[in-house]
Amino acid sequence: MDFYKGKVLRIDLSAGTSAVELLNMEWAEKYIGGKGLLLRYMWDEVPPQVDPWAPENPVILMSGPFAGTNVSTTSRLVVGCKSPATGILNDSYVGGSFAPEMKFAGYDAIIIQGESPEPVVVTIRDDVVEFVPAKPKYWGLKTSQIEEAMRRDFDADAKTLSIGPGGENEVLWACLSTDQYHKAGRGGHGALWGRKKLKAIAVRGTGSVEIGDARAFLADMYRIHSEFVLTEDNLWANEEGTPVLAQVMSDAGVMPTRNWSTGTFDLVENINSDAFVRVRTKNRACYQCAIACRQFHEVDGIVGEGPEYETIALCGANCGIGDMAALVRFNHECDELGIDTISSGSVVGLAMDLTEKGVKDFGLHFGEAEGYVQAPSLITDREGIGADLALGARALAAKYGHPELAMEVKNMELPGYDPRGSFGMSLGYATSDRGGCHMRTYPIADEIVAGALPPDSLEGKAMKVVWGNPAEGMIGENFSAVKFAGIWCDFWAVTPEQIAQIFKHAWKREFTEDEVFQIGERIWNLGRLFNLREGVEPDDLPQKLYAEEGAHTTGASAGRAIGTETFKQALQEFYQIRGWDESGVPSEAKLAEIGVDVRL
Amino acid sequence: MPHVMISSKKCTGCHMCELACSAQHEGAYRPSVARLFSECNPTTAAIKGHTCLQTGCSKCQEACPHDAIVTKEITVKVKGEFAGKEKIGGDTVRGYVLVVVDDLCTNCGECYDVCPTGVIHEHPDREVAFKCDLCDGEPQCIAFCQNPHVLAVDLKVDKKDKELAQA
Repeated sequence: MDFYKGKVLRIDLSAGTSAVELLNMEWAEKYIGGKGLLLRYMWDEVPPQVDPWAPENPVILMSGPFAGTNVSTTSRLVVGCKSPATGILNDSYVGGSFAPEMKFAGYDAIIIQGESPEPVVVTIRDDVVEFVPAKPKYWGLKTSQIEEAMRRDFDADAKTLSIGPGGENEVLWACLSTDQYHKAGRGGHGALWGRKKLKAIAVRGTGSVEIGDARAFLADMYRIHSEFVLTEDNLWANEEGTPVLAQVMSDAGVMPTRNWSTGTFDLVENINSDAFVRVRTKNRACYQCAIACRQFHEVDGIVGEGPEYETIALCGANCGIGDMAALVRFNHECDELGIDTISSGSVVGLAMDLTEKGVKDFGLHFGEAEGYVQAPSLITDREGIGADLALGARALAAKYGHPELAMEVKNMELPGYDPRGSFGMSLGYATSDRGGCHMRTYPIADEIVAGALPPDSLEGKAMKVVWGNPAEGMIGENFSAVKFAGIWCDFWAVTPEQIAQIFKHAWKREFTEDEVFQIGERIWNLGRLFNLREGVEPDDLPQKLYAEEGAHTTGASAGRAIGTETFKQALQEFYQIRGWDESGVPSEAKLAEIGVDVRL
Repeated sequence: MPHVMISSKKCTGCHMCELACSAQHEGAYRPSVARLFSECNPTTAAIKGHTCLQTGCSKCQEACPHDAIVTKEITVKVKGEFAGKEKIGGDTVRGYVLVVVDDLCTNCGECYDVCPTGVIHEHPDREVAFKCDLCDGEPQCIAFCQNPHVLAVDLKVDKKDKELAQA
C-alpha cells in the first residue's frame, strides 16, 4: 500500500537473529501508525504483567505513514515499551532522520526483543541486518561519538539511534538519541536498551516510499505548506523556538522554580529567549521539516542545540540557575551522556531543596553552578551523591522522609508547567497515559498563551482536556493521540481538517473531522486498557499542586489553589465525558462505539 | 540562465529538496537517487550543498566519450511567492541545461569520476547516468525550499550560459 512499506523487522537480541514480517494492515487502518499502531502492537507483543526489565519486554520503534515524504514535521519516530520507570505504557517521540531512513530501508517498524549476552550494535543496510560486538570499540562512547563511529565504520550516511553512558548504566531516565541532539527522552527507553545490552541501531536505506500519483501529491503538499505550515502561527518556532516560553511562563507564575516553591523566577531574564537570541549561531531542521525550529547556540565555547523550554525550566529555574553558561553546560552533559533533562533537572532541584531544608547535605545549592554542572555525570556513574540522585525524584524523596517534595506523576518527573498558575494542567498531568507529561494535552495554550479561558478555574476544563479547543490551538488528549499517530510535531499546529486532507492521500478516500477525532479517541482508550491491564496507579498528582494549603505565597500565581474537592470532581467529570466508570475503566459501550478491538 | 545552488549558510538540513526531486523524477520518495543533496553533520551542524552547475561546469559533457550529455535549451519558471525571482530578474529565465540521452549513454562511468560536486551517478535500476535537468523548467527543489526565513535552494545564472545565449 502507498505510504506504508508493509514490513516489520523483528530483532531477537537473545538469539542474535532477525526476521521480516508483514505489517498488520488491519491494525494500520484502525490505528494509522505512530502512537496508535505502536499501542496496538504493544497490546500483543508485551506479555501481560511482565517485569519491565525482563528480556520479554520489547522495545518497538514505529514510524508514521508520512515519514520519508514531503509532509512537514512527520519524520518523527515513536519508541514504545512498558516503562521501567513507570510500569505503564511509554511512548516517547524523537525527530531527526531515523524514521525516514528506516522507511527507505524498507520497514515501517522495528520490534526489538530479548537480551543480548554481550553488548551489541545492530546495523541495517536495506535488507542486510548484522550484529556487531559493541566491546571494546563502542560501549562507553558518548552520543556524539557513537554516531560518528557509525558514520566512519558502517556507512557515511548512517542514521543512528543509540544510548550513551546513561543508558548503559540503566539510569531510569536514560534517553535514546539520534542526530545527537534529538532524544526520545522520557520513560527510560535508554535504560532498557542498556539492560538489553543494545548500544545502537544504525540504519541506511536506499529504497523508496511509494505514494501513488507523486506529482499530484507534490502539488497538494506545496499548497498545504503555503497555506497551513509556513504561517505566522507556526513560524515562531523558527524565529525563537521554545525559549520564547520562558518569560511568558515566569510572568504567569507557571515556571517551576526552586523545586516548585514558586512559579516566577527572579533571574528569568538571564535565560529567556532574548538572552538566547544574543548567542544564537544557526537554525537546523529535522528531516522533512520546513519549519526548522532547532536553535544552535554558542556559550563559553560550547556549541550545540538548545536548551529548549523544558530544560530552561527544570534545569534552570527549578535549580535556581540563572547562569546561562552553567545551564548550557548542564544541557550539553545530559545530551552527551544520554539522559533526560526534565528528570535530571527535577532530581537536582529536589536534592538542592533537601540540602537547603537541612534534611540531607548533597552539596548542591539553589543557584550555585558548582556541584550542579557535575551532577549529570555523577548520576550517570552513580558516583558519590549520584547514587542517591539516580533513584529518581520519588524514591529519593521517600528515602529521606519527604515524599511531598517529589514532583512526579506515576514516577515520571513533571515538566515545566506548574498547575497552580494554569489549573487545566492538573487534569492533564493526572490523566496523562504515560505519567507526568505536558504533551498529551496543553491547556496552557488556552489559559496562558491565547488567554481564551481563565487559568484559575477548572470549570469546563475536563471537556477541553479530552477534546481540546482547536479554534484556540489547544490540543486535547484525543487529538494529540491521532496527531501522534501521524506523526505530526506540535510545532505545526495542524488541524483535524488538515489531517483529514492528508489522510485522504494515503487511504484514497474522504475523511471527516469527526472520524479524525474518533481515531484519536480509539487510540486513547486502547492506551488506557493497556495501562489497566499492567496495573496503573490512581490518576492523581502531587497534592500540593491542587490542595488549598499548597498555594504559592510568592510569584504571579500566589494565593491560587484549585482545591482538593474541586479537583476530584473535575476528575470524575473527565471520566464521565470519557465514558469510563468512577475508577477510570472504559465501559463496554464506549469501546464498542469507537471500535477498539481488544478487551481486558 | 539557470542552475541550482544550495546556500550552506542558509540551509537547515531538512532535505525537502532531495525528497521533492526524487518524487518528481522517480515517482516515489527516494532521496538516495535525488539529483542534488545537502551534506549535514548533525553534531557540528555544518552543511555543504551539492548541485549540478550545468553549463557553468560541463566537465561531465567534456568527459563523455559517446556525446550522451547534450546541451538543451530550457525556460525555467520559479514557483513560489518568495523563491528566486529577485536574483533572476523575473518569474522566468531562459538558458541551457545538460541532460543525459539514455539511448546514447553506455554507463561507462567517465562522467562519474570527473563531477566536482558528486551529482551524476549510475541509476540503481537502469544502467545509465542520471543528473539534474531542472525538472524541465520547474525545479521542485526550489519550490519546496519554502520557508521565507530560509530560501537556501535557489536559482543562479552563470557567465557561460550568458555567452551561449548571446552566441
